[in-house]
Amino acid sequence: CRGRALLSRVRGAPRALRGLAAGPEMHFGFQSVTEEERREKIYQVFESVAKKYDVMNDSMTLGIHRVWKDILVHKMNPCPGTLLLDVAGGTGDIAFRFINYVRSVREQQLQRKLKRHQNLSWQEIFENYQEDKCNSLGDSQVVVCDINREMLKVGKQKAQQLGYSEGLSWVLGNAEELPFDDDKFDVYTIAFGIRNVTRIDLALQEAYRVLKPGGRFLCLEFSHVNNPLLSRLYDLYSFQVIPVLGEVIAGDWKSYQYLVESIRQFPPQEELKAMIEDAGFFKVDYENLNFGIVAIHSGFKL
Amino acid sequence: VRCQHYPPLRALQASAVLRGVSDEHKKEPFTSSSQQQFDPHPAGHQPEQEPQGPHPSYTGQGGQESEDYESEEQLQRRILTAALEFVPEHGWTAEAIAEGAKTLGLSVAAAGMFHSDGSELILHFVSECNAKLSELLEKEQKLVQLGEAEKKPTDEFLRDAVEARLRMLIPYIEKWPQALSVLLLPRNIPSSLSLLTSMIDDIWHYAGDQSTDFNWYTRRAVLTGIYNTTELVMLQDSSPDFEDTWRFLENRVADAMNMSNTASQVQSTGEAVVQGLMGAAVTVSNGGIECLS
Repeated sequence: CRGRALLSRVRGAPRALRGLAAGPEMHFGFQSVTEEERREKIYQVFESVAKKYDVMNDSMTLGIHRVWKDILVHKMNPCPGTLLLDVAGGTGDIAFRFINYVRSVREQQLQRKLKRHQNLSWQEIFENYQEDKCNSLGDSQVVVCDINREMLKVGKQKAQQLGYSEGLSWVLGNAEELPFDDDKFDVYTIAFGIRNVTRIDLALQEAYRVLKPGGRFLCLEFSHVNNPLLSRLYDLYSFQVIPVLGEVIAGDWKSYQYLVESIRQFPPQEELKAMIEDAGFFKVDYENLNFGIVAIHSGFKL
Repeated sequence: VRCQHYPPLRALQASAVLRGVSDEHKKEPFTSSSQQQFDPHPAGHQPEQEPQGPHPSYTGQGGQESEDYESEEQLQRRILTAALEFVPEHGWTAEAIAEGAKTLGLSVAAAGMFHSDGSELILHFVSECNAKLSELLEKEQKLVQLGEAEKKPTDEFLRDAVEARLRMLIPYIEKWPQALSVLLLPRNIPSSLSLLTSMIDDIWHYAGDQSTDFNWYTRRAVLTGIYNTTELVMLQDSSPDFEDTWRFLENRVADAMNMSNTASQVQSTGEAVVQGLMGAAVTVSNGGIECLS
């Protein structure tokens, strides 16, 4: 594993500007900091925004982030029995959507099964109901992993409020060094989190490690807008409106300034695709949403 | 003959689980249009984990990969073949593909590599059936060449070929209507059409058709019509062993043969009529000249 890290670090040297520095200089938004400082600062950012995270998401993206996350889960198309690891999943948005999706697929499956068993006796039907009642998720499970305790707290509260209890677990962990065994998960998702990881290559390697053979890596993240007109409007909105919203709603200008800058510093679609391939994934592809404001990258461990 | 374009292939460092799995789900390897030329791994491969060193991250083009590596395309084909046994239960869906992947030791998420409507699965099935048919016809042809079998008359040959091909649908006949509707989606029409035409072309080739005129087109069009209509009849045939379907097929092929006879008869009749008219015209004009003189 160490050998691989060295290898990809050497390959990553030309991308030093993008924050995979061979040296200690990294970016925090448009500032230049060391690795350790970056981790610290990002932790503080999320600690302070945790409580208002969902509200800010809604107001910044005008609610469109919900659609993006829906599209991500639809693309995943999980079937019952899938084990999902949601990294940087903080407040649980992806996890809840996953559970809903799997539940509805499971219901459809059960309905189809019942339709086929037209000639069962009452006893058999009763038994079928019993065993399926306790299995509404079909053994699917989602593990939400986040480095930030505050975000996990908010997530757990939300889960309680919304009534999600089955098939859900919360783990404190670092994406660059996951506390899980090899070959464990069917799907690994990281939604709007990989931007905040200090060593993206390590996170990708960890993703590769914990996925089962055949497992899928999905990454939803802000990306590069190609269209020049749209790009200008987007920049205008990002730099003028979002930090103001941050100050007004969350009382925290600096965090949202960081957010907008970090989006600009993140590698564009093709580069991220190359990084994912470097980590060992196959059939790597990306889908632009909203002209490239957001992109979903997908890869398979084969 | 698949109209799909795959990105440049890289060597897959398939895990031991993949390599160690037996070939029980794999049918005979066909000479499909694969871009790689290496053999499928032998079934008795020892299931030990080999150290995973850094693998090429850029295309390893040129079919010189070692036998331990498998291309993405090959793996996808293995998954689809494994998925076929779950089709009678789940239909031509991503669920069947997920179950297939599970039997190969892969995660169910591998089904995400394919479209959720099962298009690839159906196209894969059709191309495998076509390849099986070609093999069958080639074997028969060899037997005839070696003198061990009689050469069949055309109508019997066509009948047998179409019947053999349609019989391959029998295990999946319940879910076949769903497959047909997917094959008719605009996205799939180029591929499904090319598979159909190449199959019909194959059958005529082994039937000994060497026409170079318009007959080439009429023959293929006629046989395509026969095949499609028989397929539709088969879908709602409930007779034992599909007897009604084969009878229908026999009648259609006989019709087609008669039609071509009638066509040539019509042609010769037409020629005779024209000659008669010419003769009458000459007689009349001769008679007229005689009158005048």
